[in-house]
Amino acid sequence: MRISSIYPLVGVALLACSQISLAENATVKITAPADGAQLDAMAQHQVVYDVMPGPTGDHSHLYVDNREVAVLRQLKGSYALTALAPGQHAICIRVVNKGHTPIGVEQCVNVSVK
Amino acid sequence: MNLQNLSYAAIQVVHNFGAVAVVGSAVCALWAGSGLARMRQPLAWIALLGWTAQAASGASLGAVSWLYYGRFPDIHGIALAALLIKITCAAAGFMLAAAFVYRGTGWRESAQQATWRALAALAATALTAAAFLRWFA
Repeated sequence: MRISSIYPLVGVALLACSQISLAENATVKITAPADGAQLDAMAQHQVVYDVMPGPTGDHSHLYVDNREVAVLRQLKGSYALTALAPGQHAICIRVVNKGHTPIGVEQCVNVSVK
Repeated sequence: MNLQNLSYAAIQVVHNFGAVAVVGSAVCALWAGSGLARMRQPLAWIALLGWTAQAASGASLGAVSWLYYGRFPDIHGIALAALLIKITCAAAGFMLAAAFVYRGTGWRESAQQATWRALAALAATALTAAAFLRWFA
């Protein structure tokens, strides 16, 4: 194998490492509902969040049970969820870049709806 | 300069010029009409290159996301429908333009006109879908 053939591999590895470190500067925090909270099926619930997109992030997407329900353009705020069916649900917020690709930074809370 | 943004921007440049090529070539061919029929072959090449650039750059935008994050862009609903329309237009536009390059100048006049009208419609549809993809994603 010629030595020059490893250059692309080194480049990809460096690129990946640099992106991991950039993504580490991004954070997302869901302050409500709390993880493990029990919610009333008849009530409307607010997801309160605070996002730091970091150098590669731009905005965030909100998911309920891995299904996207909203694009969150504001970095800090709240979103009113439509009625949740009784049962266990996972509410997640993922930081995405300008091209809507998740950059690997997310927070999820699990709630129980009765 | 952020290498990731530079990658997206460079690919977007190709994508934008591809859009200009597919619209411009079809509009020029229709505007020139049968009086400048000899222009149709080079215009068909421009259309073919334009649709190729559109498809390749569109795929490259997804590839950059995959390279950096191991995931494709997360789009749903109207945006996803718009993307599928764009892909369909690119595939149809590429095949029509390729067919015209191959032997289109030998077709009868009405068939040539119909081909350029179809190419113009595909280009306009793709550009319209691009706007929905941009703002509904």
